[in-house]
Amino acid sequence: MSAMPSAPVVGRSYTCNWCGNVSDGTALSCPACGATVNVKDIVTPTGWIELPGRKDMAKLQIGSSSCQIEGLYVPVADFNLAKGDGVYFAHHVLLWKELSVNITMMSMKNAWKRAFAGMPIFMTQAAGPGHIAFSRDLPGELLALPLQPGHAVDVREHFMLVATSHVDYTWVNSNVWFTTKNGDETETHYPIGMTLDRFMAPKMPGLLLLHASGNVFVRQLAPGQSILIKPTALIFKDPNVNIQLHFEHPNSNWNPWSSYNQRYLWLRITGPGRVAIQSAFEPVEDNGRNITNHSPATRHNW
Amino acid sequence: MAQPAQNIQEPLERLKCNWCQGMNLKTDLSCQFCGAPLDLADVVSESGWREAPRLKDMTEFHFFGSTCQVEGEIVPVAEINLGQGDGIYFEHHVMLWKEPNVPMSVLQLPGGMKRVLAGMPFIISVARGPGRVAFSRDATGELVVLPLHPGMELDVREHAFLLASINVGYSFVRIKGLRNILFGGQGMYMDQFKTTNQSGLLLLHGYGNVFERTLKAGESILIEPGAFLYKDSTVKMDVQMQQLTTGIFGGTAMSLALMTGPGRVGIQSMYVHHTTD
Repeated sequence: MSAMPSAPVVGRSYTCNWCGNVSDGTALSCPACGATVNVKDIVTPTGWIELPGRKDMAKLQIGSSSCQIEGLYVPVADFNLAKGDGVYFAHHVLLWKELSVNITMMSMKNAWKRAFAGMPIFMTQAAGPGHIAFSRDLPGELLALPLQPGHAVDVREHFMLVATSHVDYTWVNSNVWFTTKNGDETETHYPIGMTLDRFMAPKMPGLLLLHASGNVFVRQLAPGQSILIKPTALIFKDPNVNIQLHFEHPNSNWNPWSSYNQRYLWLRITGPGRVAIQSAFEPVEDNGRNITNHSPATRHNW
Repeated sequence: MAQPAQNIQEPLERLKCNWCQGMNLKTDLSCQFCGAPLDLADVVSESGWREAPRLKDMTEFHFFGSTCQVEGEIVPVAEINLGQGDGIYFEHHVMLWKEPNVPMSVLQLPGGMKRVLAGMPFIISVARGPGRVAFSRDATGELVVLPLHPGMELDVREHAFLLASINVGYSFVRIKGLRNILFGGQGMYMDQFKTTNQSGLLLLHGYGNVFERTLKAGESILIEPGAFLYKDSTVKMDVQMQQLTTGIFGGTAMSLALMTGPGRVGIQSMYVHHTTD
């Protein structure tokens, strides 16, 4: 018997576990986020979901444009921009581009405050038609976050790789800080930075690509549910997820004062909503001196 | 009576490696000359970039009377089993381990003072067989195996080469044009590897993932200068300044490397500006 070509399955649909996009399920990966189709989520007993597996060369469709994700250690996002479509990015993540792609500056609101916070005050934007590719210089994973109209996400600064032009980019104060004193000198520390980037798709769907170091894990927190994470491990959170500092002092039998001198610095995350962390994170900046003031925080002495 | 006919047929049945064009036995799973898997198709993006072959853990390939085994995948190690009379050269800081009996010497290099001034390695070490010696760099990435056919010339970003067989000519080429030197992101010199009438082997370590593209004559592409890894000498490299202007602050300029074919260009996705101590 000769093999018959398989006919398209009428009425078939596939809902992506990662982004919720509904597709016909005939592709190997979700056209909105690149997650491999028909592969179960890998979930730890504690509820952390690993970033869904993505096949090399997975292709994302964004209107008339597309994005192919290439490589596994330091993945590259290779955009094929249609005429009239655009993306914006920090200029240092540009890997290569075709000569036909025009790049210009995109000014940001509140430039001085952004400059003061160490954030880029200008973003670079590229307009199609043509190919342009981006990567960061760290081994890690690319997260594709398709944003539906009205949806927003808060991202820790410097994690954004590229966003489509339909996505609005503003920032909000992180309100996570503490001060220490050394003699007459007061130092203010911002464990997750002074600000968080807020990306929102106001009217049309858009795509946001982030790059995180190491592996990425996501957790959906129920209303009121709390978890403590290392501040520098945070990648993004839903806007309604609450964050605040948490100081934890270990018990010490031989020196009662050490309970106040030694501390673990945490970020308390409270639901409802999603939170994502990275497995490779830099040490938390804490000089160990007495904390003289801080943003809203909880404390526990063991 | 079928036996003689089979013997005649057998030499014609060869598998050609898409990466290095080496001819392999039809039973081989990986290329004998570069280790590229022969049972997998090339991975090529829609824009035309081909991924460097992902070498399977413990893949072995041969050069002259020696073998190279690739071990590990995140920071791969090249373990060389040198045959009697064979030799390789390398920058000493990439050596991971060696057997005590492997003799070491130093390669005589022309233009020593210029190399020192340019921050390039002044001393290149040589190991000769028989014996085993292994190499790796200190970052996540891929090994790029480039068997060089006679008469080939390849320009490589400085400090990107891991090792080369002793019969491959090693020199350096000054990057032409002050703008290329100042804004090209690759310093003043590039390593140049050349074969004359013999083939040879060159191993590079690319940071992150490595991609290669073959440009047609006159075809151009703009790349981040720090991403450049290697190119055929026929590919012309220039710098294009990209002016990014804003009303208030006057703007800034971004330099990109303009590569014009014909020939191959290799890039790495983690574009650190490497230095060496």
